[in-house]
Amino acid sequence: MIALETRSLYKSFGSLAATRDVSLAFEAGARYAIIGPNGAGKTTYFNLLAGNLRPDSGTVLFAGRDVTGLDVTSRAKIGIARSFQRNNLFSDFTVRDNLMLACALRAGTTRVFWRPMRQTTSAHAEADEVAAQVGLTDVLGTTVRQLSYGSQRQLEVALALACKPQVLLLDEPTSGMSPEETARMHDLINAIPRSLTVIVIEHDMDIVLDIADRIIVLDYGRVLEQGTPTEIRASKVVRQRYLGEPAAGVSGGPRP
Amino acid sequence: MMASRTFIRRSVGVALVIVALVAQAFAGFFAQELIAEAAILAIFALSLDLLATCGLISFGHAGLLGVGCYVFAGLTVLMGGSANVAFPIAIVAGAVVAFMVGLFAVRTTGAFFIMVTLAAAEMLFSWGYRSPMFGGANGMGGVPRLNLTAIGIDLNDPATFALTVIVLCIVIWLLLELVVSSPFGRTLAAIRQNPSRVAALGGRVFFYRLAAFTASGAIAALAGALKVQHINFISPDLVSWFVSGDVLIAVVIGGVGTLVGGPLGAALLILLKELLSSTFGHWYLFLGIVFACVALLMPKGIVGNLLDFYERRITRVAASRREPTGDAA
Repeated sequence: MIALETRSLYKSFGSLAATRDVSLAFEAGARYAIIGPNGAGKTTYFNLLAGNLRPDSGTVLFAGRDVTGLDVTSRAKIGIARSFQRNNLFSDFTVRDNLMLACALRAGTTRVFWRPMRQTTSAHAEADEVAAQVGLTDVLGTTVRQLSYGSQRQLEVALALACKPQVLLLDEPTSGMSPEETARMHDLINAIPRSLTVIVIEHDMDIVLDIADRIIVLDYGRVLEQGTPTEIRASKVVRQRYLGEPAAGVSGGPRP
Repeated sequence: MMASRTFIRRSVGVALVIVALVAQAFAGFFAQELIAEAAILAIFALSLDLLATCGLISFGHAGLLGVGCYVFAGLTVLMGGSANVAFPIAIVAGAVVAFMVGLFAVRTTGAFFIMVTLAAAEMLFSWGYRSPMFGGANGMGGVPRLNLTAIGIDLNDPATFALTVIVLCIVIWLLLELVVSSPFGRTLAAIRQNPSRVAALGGRVFFYRLAAFTASGAIAALAGALKVQHINFISPDLVSWFVSGDVLIAVVIGGVGTLVGGPLGAALLILLKELLSSTFGHWYLFLGIVFACVALLMPKGIVGNLLDFYERRITRVAASRREPTGDAA
């Protein structure tokens, strides 16, 4: 079954074509990694999938339904959740309050104004559950502002998980993390149940090659190549543009 | 740390309530008038701060206050209606007008929201200024007070009126304390911090902001209906942007987003006005200096900076307990 699909998606910013004719189908329950040099249009494509941006043309299908016209809020409600490349949290709240809010928004209990949030036991239990899943149990009572960067990155992913989505979009979950934190995030992604479709933008090739069932290589807004990790590693065109230059592969490499 | 912040905030509120009740019990005739004035401004400040909870600062809140003023005065003086019936109608009218203005206004934020709310309030002001029904710029007298003689309360007695307004203010404060701690209120606080993430989590930001604006309008109109009862008079000056400015100053001095800060600021503002205006003609000049000092020394307002101060101390104590050997990072 196809969970999410895009058909000939285009998006330009002025004269810059950030997404050009991207047609991809994501199998339900599979793990996808989107790679490509900086400026390849990975995050733009994510914004189109999540509904943060509307495409200039083309369609986005979720479980066979056309969701191109739905905004990010509506898509979150039907089961597409995303994390952000830069931490995008509620920094005055504690970790528990962040997670409880996400759970309450998903459950639709945030219109309740006659009872303290503390007494919303379902959100409380769910928040604890998600915290345990991502390893934030010890810092549940800590205000986000006082949290280490790595823990903030974990919370970033946890907020998306708290939406109980069918499709989870993770935008560079390990960016700026130490090797230990990266390893922990790696385990976290691997532990996500197979009932979820996971699409990750990632620069760390070790993680990409390990977690992804399929890899999509974007370049200049186009799909350069897609396939299994083995196929991608063997691909001549990818080697040339991306993997072939290990140093440049990470930083993006010079543009002609 | 959220619980302790809430605890300190509420303690300030309880202290303020005690001071208000003690002052009211011992006040003379003239002071009762001041206390009533301060308590009405406190209710108005609470309504502005509820809106600030979701990150919106209105500079046209006098417009919503004015809806309460004009609806109450119109129903009682012009149509001869009962004050007891006019009062709830005025509150509902405030909510309805806020909802309609909000449909347009809450799509904007920041400076644009300030301008839209100011424009809406100025529309009501210029209508009131020209309205022959309400005496235009001269205003109109004879606005009656609520009739609670059935339960043995005579609101025409200044002390009783002041006490009643204080009690109403306390009730509204307690209600808003419940609201800000509820899932709805926490969502408003989340929207203040990061509206785009609330949207990405499936929260319809527009809906929550509109709901907050509507509730804020109801409370502002309540304050307005009390205002015209207090002075038995209505004039367009009650809707002028000076009034919007006064309440904004009260909330900023007390602390935006703290709930109890607004009433504290309102009490200080009325006190300051009384002390200064009897001595100096240009008392607003001195208010401006006080306001500038508060803004520089306590940018989060009195209560806001008090909370930060305690939070830093609590964090430091907690950190030193965790690492008893030395300085915590």
